[in-house]
Amino acid sequence: MTGGNNNSPVLGLFVFETNQLLEQLERIILDGEKAGGLAAAINEVFRVMHTIKGSAAMMLLDNIAELAHALEDVFYYLREEQPGEVDYSSLADMVLSAADFIRNEIAKLENGDNPNGDPAEMIGSIRCFLQALKGCGSDQPCAAAPSVHAVQYYIGAKKPEKAGVNTYEACIFFDEDCGMENVRAFMLVHELKEFAEDIRYLPPDVLDNDDNAEAIRREGFRLYFSSRNTLEEIREFLDRTMFLKSFEIQPAGAGQPPAAKKRTIDLEGPVPEASAPTAAQGTDGTQAVGKQNFISVNVGKMDLLMDLVGELVIAEAMVSQNPELRGLPLDGFYKAARQLRKITDELQDVVMSIRMVPLAATFHKTSRIVRDMNKKLNKQAELEIVGGETEVDKNIIEHLSDPLMHLIRNAVDHGIESPGEREQAGKPPAGKLRLEAKNAGGEVWIMVQDDGRGLDREKILAKAVERGLTQGIDNSLTDKEVYSFILHPGFSTKETVTEFSGRGVGMDVVAQNIEKIGGSIHIDSSLGCQTTITIRIPLTLAIIDGMNIRVGRNIYTIPINSIRESFRISGHRTFRDTGGAEMIMLRGECYPILRLYERYRIQVAAEDLPDGIMVMIEADDKKICLFADALLGQQQVVVKALPKYLKKTQGIAGCTLLGDGSVSLILDVSGLVGGMGSGCCS
Amino acid sequence: MAKVLIVDDASFIRVSLKMMLERNGFEVVGEAENGTVAVRKYLELKPDLVTMDITMPEVDGVTALKSIIQQDPAAKVVMISAMGQESTVKEAVIAGAVGFIVKPFKEEQVIKGLSKFR
Repeated sequence: MTGGNNNSPVLGLFVFETNQLLEQLERIILDGEKAGGLAAAINEVFRVMHTIKGSAAMMLLDNIAELAHALEDVFYYLREEQPGEVDYSSLADMVLSAADFIRNEIAKLENGDNPNGDPAEMIGSIRCFLQALKGCGSDQPCAAAPSVHAVQYYIGAKKPEKAGVNTYEACIFFDEDCGMENVRAFMLVHELKEFAEDIRYLPPDVLDNDDNAEAIRREGFRLYFSSRNTLEEIREFLDRTMFLKSFEIQPAGAGQPPAAKKRTIDLEGPVPEASAPTAAQGTDGTQAVGKQNFISVNVGKMDLLMDLVGELVIAEAMVSQNPELRGLPLDGFYKAARQLRKITDELQDVVMSIRMVPLAATFHKTSRIVRDMNKKLNKQAELEIVGGETEVDKNIIEHLSDPLMHLIRNAVDHGIESPGEREQAGKPPAGKLRLEAKNAGGEVWIMVQDDGRGLDREKILAKAVERGLTQGIDNSLTDKEVYSFILHPGFSTKETVTEFSGRGVGMDVVAQNIEKIGGSIHIDSSLGCQTTITIRIPLTLAIIDGMNIRVGRNIYTIPINSIRESFRISGHRTFRDTGGAEMIMLRGECYPILRLYERYRIQVAAEDLPDGIMVMIEADDKKICLFADALLGQQQVVVKALPKYLKKTQGIAGCTLLGDGSVSLILDVSGLVGGMGSGCCS
Repeated sequence: MAKVLIVDDASFIRVSLKMMLERNGFEVVGEAENGTVAVRKYLELKPDLVTMDITMPEVDGVTALKSIIQQDPAAKVVMISAMGQESTVKEAVIAGAVGFIVKPFKEEQVIKGLSKFR
């Protein structure tokens, strides 16, 4: 608990925690608005503001502390007095702009700038708001407000500080494996009662809830109490406690900046008994407790670790599948090799999982956008978020945020109509906007769906012809193909905004960003009803499960999650369609056949279908059968980009090193499947 | 050297505890296999420390603890508990146990815990 601006580990924690709190705050406010009023959120906002105020004061960031304090006052008043009429809408605006201010200041701090923003105006309007509240809520004169100004800590104590009584806060860790940490905490409290009073602790229900042992193990047991004993005596008492590994104890409020000395124990509103532990949380920050078992690691190091694991996977294969071992009776070796393989697999899974971050945080940023746009554009878009817990690689999330915001903005701005227009079209005045994430095979799908105007196929097609993207009105193009024209740079002009419900604005940039992270965009729409834009991104870019197949002397790798089945062809009927493309009939359905040796012009032994093997792959709901010589086996492969001097080849996603040191090309399944659709097998 | 009375109905536990303690500078002055014997031996041997199993036939550990504390409020009794006996341990704590060790235990853990009472 040290103050000062330049204490970097503390600073990092402060920045991290406060940002989390701000996110939480935003969510509380937006959820509250959705639920029709902030009444339910008052307590939480109060707590968040209280924590921010406390930490900011500790970091000597007076501007943030004062702003948070002003809001805390408002919410304290709301909580205690429960005034009847409150203008929650402008209060929400105030809280959100305060959050923006604080975030901005913290960003300055992070960049090494001086956080010197002046919140005086904001504080002024917050105070006015509070006075207005007090004016209408009760008969208290407005002049009472300034007396609240000194930094106050609403600890919610029942008694004033008595002479000779010291208050302490302690954080206690028990020995690992000592077992029943919650009962140990219980015992500690029990013994403490002999010479201490006002004992409060975290987790609050430690005495009754046996599940808390784990929490205490991880985060320690926090105690707040007052006692006539000196610090030394209490230390001695703690030293005598069994299995107590370590503890920190200090007089409560130590390390506060001088301003905090004016700290008063709140007397005006006795906090109800039940909420006492909550108030205790507020004074020191539940967040701090919750975060202690996290470490923040430089992403660069994570990337390096990932690379190394990738190399390890290759090296493992190089050893265990070394061609020099072929045919040797090495039972013991293979047993050991399997063990090694198992461990590298697990290691890889763990490293991957470390990098996975839930999408929730990114998703919640969008609610703010929707809210602000609703206010600005007089629309009533209701955002529904589904599947925020879906996890994606951290690198990917970073590239996902901007495109997602863009899609959401587009959906509210151009997709969803104004309430009047909607009513004319026979829709409910409030538009629905749905943001959904889900896992689908090795991919994560993120869908932005609105029930607005939809896309107009004819107009897009006309525009595409005008821009020279396609020749003539081609009716054989599927809707999806037509819609995907809006991803072309040519469509991002101002006139398209009005003409084509504006789905062209910057969509090319969105598409580029998504492609950069190995993802793809799929658009589905029906005019006047809805538009769904689906972003499909791979779970991870670095390592995939692949099936190696042999064609002639070449080896190709197919991502395992796009393989549907593989089979030898025997009695199946093959035939050619009118365009001359080879097809196979399987369980009543026709699938195109792609002979890999033809496509890649490879000299091959097996040209007759029964001599080789068929592998059915699927992408974008289309399936095709690849014809190869043989399956070689499944293997995890590290995806490497093709060298730059090779032109981007259709159907090849990258390459990988195999165990024997040879190179295998990784097939780009959606490229291959898509290529079949437009009949390119030259 | 701290004198210890070991109370447990399982002789295996008594023996292992005894070995652990004697290796680490405790003197095991007696053993008891149930609560009744424990109380009698406590009064007879006046040990500095008692390790008290909770679940025992006839008179259980908590009852024995209460009886010992009643006769010697300064008695130092450390409970030996299994997982899942949280509420019994709490009862023992309220009755005046000075600590508890959770089974299965390791030597270093036992010694570390008990050395607070040497």
